[in-house]
Amino acid sequence: MCKCCSCWKPPAEGRLTSLCVSARLESQGSSVHEQLPSCSGVGGERDSGYDSLKRRMSVFDRLSQTHPVWLLLSVSAEEATRILLTQPPGVFLVRKAAAVQKKVLSVRVEKVQSENAISHFPVRENQYSKCMYSIMHVCVCVDILPFTLKLPEAIASAKTQKELEEVAQLGAGYWNSALCSQRHCPRRPLSQTLSLQRSRGGDQGPLQAHSDSAPPILRSKTTGPVLHLERRHSSGPLCFLNPLFIQTHHCPHQHHCEPPFSLPPPRPPPPRLMPHRRPAPPPPLPTAATTRPKSMPAATMPAKPPQSSKRRPAPQPPKGPRYSDATKASNSPDPLPSYPPPPRPKKLDLEAQRCHIAMEDETIAEALSRAKLPSRRPPPADDVETNRDNLCAPQARGRQRLSDMSMSTSSSDSLDYSPSPDSSEYDENDDEDEEEDYGVGLETDLEMRLRQSSKSQRKRISVSLGGGSLILPKALKGRFQKVSGMLSSLVTPERRIIKKITELSQDRNSYFGSLVQDYIGFVQENRGCHTSGMDFLQTLRQFMTQMKAYLCQSSELDPPLESLIPEDQIDQVLEKAMHKSVLKPLKSVIQGILHDFQVNSGAWQQLKENLALAKTKRPQELGVDGAVLPDAASIDKIRQKFLNMRKMYSPEKKVSLLLRVCKLIYSVMQDNSGRMYGADDFLPMLTYVVAQCDVPQLDTEVEYMMELLDPSLLQGEGGYYLTSAYGAMALIKNFQEEQAARVLSSEARNTLHQWHRRRTAQRLAPSVNDFQNYLHVALQVDTGCTAKTLLVNPYTTTEEVCSLCAQKLKIQEPEQYALFLVTTETRQQLAPDTHPQRIKAELYSRPRTHTFHFLYRKVTDLNLCIPADGQNGVSSV
Amino acid sequence: KMAIRELKVCLLGDTGVGKSSIVCRFVQDHFDHNISPTIGASFLTKTVPCGHELHKFLIWDTAGQERFHSLAPMYYRGSAAAVIVYDITKLDSFQTLKKWVKELKEHGPEDIVVAIAGNKNDLGDIREVPMKEAKEFAESIAAIFIETSARNAVNIEELFQKISKQIPPLENPEVESNDSFKLTRAPAPSTRRCC
Repeated sequence: MCKCCSCWKPPAEGRLTSLCVSARLESQGSSVHEQLPSCSGVGGERDSGYDSLKRRMSVFDRLSQTHPVWLLLSVSAEEATRILLTQPPGVFLVRKAAAVQKKVLSVRVEKVQSENAISHFPVRENQYSKCMYSIMHVCVCVDILPFTLKLPEAIASAKTQKELEEVAQLGAGYWNSALCSQRHCPRRPLSQTLSLQRSRGGDQGPLQAHSDSAPPILRSKTTGPVLHLERRHSSGPLCFLNPLFIQTHHCPHQHHCEPPFSLPPPRPPPPRLMPHRRPAPPPPLPTAATTRPKSMPAATMPAKPPQSSKRRPAPQPPKGPRYSDATKASNSPDPLPSYPPPPRPKKLDLEAQRCHIAMEDETIAEALSRAKLPSRRPPPADDVETNRDNLCAPQARGRQRLSDMSMSTSSSDSLDYSPSPDSSEYDENDDEDEEEDYGVGLETDLEMRLRQSSKSQRKRISVSLGGGSLILPKALKGRFQKVSGMLSSLVTPERRIIKKITELSQDRNSYFGSLVQDYIGFVQENRGCHTSGMDFLQTLRQFMTQMKAYLCQSSELDPPLESLIPEDQIDQVLEKAMHKSVLKPLKSVIQGILHDFQVNSGAWQQLKENLALAKTKRPQELGVDGAVLPDAASIDKIRQKFLNMRKMYSPEKKVSLLLRVCKLIYSVMQDNSGRMYGADDFLPMLTYVVAQCDVPQLDTEVEYMMELLDPSLLQGEGGYYLTSAYGAMALIKNFQEEQAARVLSSEARNTLHQWHRRRTAQRLAPSVNDFQNYLHVALQVDTGCTAKTLLVNPYTTTEEVCSLCAQKLKIQEPEQYALFLVTTETRQQLAPDTHPQRIKAELYSRPRTHTFHFLYRKVTDLNLCIPADGQNGVSSV
Repeated sequence: KMAIRELKVCLLGDTGVGKSSIVCRFVQDHFDHNISPTIGASFLTKTVPCGHELHKFLIWDTAGQERFHSLAPMYYRGSAAAVIVYDITKLDSFQTLKKWVKELKEHGPEDIVVAIAGNKNDLGDIREVPMKEAKEFAESIAAIFIETSARNAVNIEELFQKISKQIPPLENPEVESNDSFKLTRAPAPSTRRCC
């Protein structure tokens, strides 16, 4: 637990949001930001073309885009020393120390060639510190180290995106490259570029003019999530940074440009296809990024695609109206009166920012205070009676993040601190809106942050946010969208990663996306290919687990995950991302499939009958003895919760809802007596409640949770009550038999045995060999063209795929048809003995992958009919 | 900092022998306010130090009634330890215990640590199960044996301490490999300020 969190105090009611916003502005004012895109029409403050170009890239940009150069996790201390010895003081890299399993910042310090020429600082990443970049940023911006960190010359002096990309391409190889050794003219300390260090008077023209502007406030009084950079043998952390602000310096007009970690909505041209990119030369040093893919079998894992640097839209020129707005409104109430006025050149811009907001909607603070009016205090979690309003809680969305997180924070974490136990159940499908909706997103994120910032305070979170409100009426959302860019700087790394992965999963041009989309397509089109609902869910779970493993190893995520979040959180974040990428789009299909299985096997009918029978039983007949029974209203409420469970796709959220149900049952049983009820009393009561609720759909819900829940959560509280729910359901399902035999059928027992064995076995790391069992094939027949996803394993031959297609399409003369590989330029018929999956992997592994499709069509229709053996690289892979 | 190791412990035994009383006592004494409470007494957690590790017990209570017997495998699967509780004043409960021992042997996890707890030893005057008999039985199956009183908080901590001690410590190969790493690659100790 970090020292600073404990001293964090929530701001006074209603202040929080404006505080964040103002902090953002403040830091802009501080010109951590080296650059403001040239703002036409701003009097006085003019820059040369050179500078405006240069200023497009903040240090943050430079850092984040060139991480392959400085984030060298696999480099040893000796290697780092060797590299840095040739560098000027201040140049650094980040590596990982095997012994302490920590990231270490290695810096070249002042002394020339002495023994202590290189210093190593272990970086303490606490739970809340998310990203290396912020560390680097601190180092750069705040003079907490005895010296200033400097970016390698080529990175610091890069004038364009492209130059940066070129440096990044080199990866670790940069340090040995000519680019590195070539010393440009006056080496400029980064701080100057940054214009944060104000001590050396203004001697550098326009840049310097900026730099004089601001106090380096990043070493701020703000607390909360904090980073520590610790110095060995020294006491106390070296610096603090609130990640809330890490992006503030990215781009002043952030409403127009993307924050560094969120993908631009339409993904720019597929990275692999970028023609101008040249493949990185093999780096002389092993780097995390470049070694990872090599460890994978080439046939199934494509080699790493060329480092694709993210394309960020260049900052747009400021809009005219804003400025007029700004000047007009410059006397309007300033939402941030308490900050030292920024010095001249900056001032106009800052004012513009403020006024922009002010004009936009009478300031965020005001909007929020308005939004706060219908203040809803969250009902006590254990209060059975007060929650009747739960159906009218559309505005309570956003809350769900809490329960969501609590499931994932620890396998045994309880959920009862979730401030509004009922509000989260209704809106899972709104997730998407929520993401576009920064107003609500802001609220959610703040909540998350607060919650993270102090565990002990989490029960109070919503209260500290001003009576648990901060919930924005729909009408305000649009307005908030206008300042969404600013607010998006508050999005947590987790959410950014999840969003990014989700987007990647929808991008067929990425390997990951093609795997996910192929799988989704396969599930949608082949409902009948599983033997049971359980079998189906198992393959789903397996797929997600494998995809998680792939994402951990693949280089498709750029920057790599470990640079954004602490490693112990990666799995959990990936799990959520997989739920969103796979389960969400498939939710209704899965439900349909499971239900079909139930109906077809007759289990559905039997379940309904048994539930009806169990409902007629007195509590005693189900083993209930002594405890207070829930009344009709409570049963009804629980029933509603079970029904709402069906609306969710995330197994974790479903489980958290189940936990709320159980908690409710406990509180009814205890009836304020304070008596603790163990399983002897609880399980019969749960069975009774389930019978009374009469929700046969609960059966598939339980199955869904049991098979899809992250295996690491199965031992904890969620797993326990899930097991109990399964048990209750199983008792009811076997009710008639039980009457006769008093025991479950041996069949049911065997199922339980198998279930456990399976679920525990899954903890083993999945092999990466069998990911790509799905192939997307376009089928062209006389009547038209359709696309199907087929189950095709790596060893399936083209011949077999052809006969599969013939079957699907009921082709009369299959010998006239063949499978083709179609790219933008070529069409090649595949020989019968080739393996399409391997071809696919091979194609993906090439440095420049072109779009390609597998097409099944009549041979005679084609002009080009090339025997496959003639095709290099494709014929027999 | 010590690593936390989660250990699933399952509670077996007839209804009414005081399974959950034992655990409630164990968890509530020295209640740890830092740990978020669980929603009910059927599933409780408690973290105790043991050697170089912290053991976080995830305690799964089971329903003792016969009708729920068939669900037990769900609960004891994956357990590091099972606490089988009987009531020293009820001979029947000791017979049930023997059935549980047999079932665990046949179907339980291979290395499961079995602890036998004779509860309600504050009611010695109406005892039906002689301590000697129970102890000998426990020894015959290499199980931990202890008589407890949940009511008077007798031997509750001890029961779980004994379990902790029987859990084999995790090997830590990483420590060793790092050592050897250091030995083989330490050419310039002065520059290696860290690691």
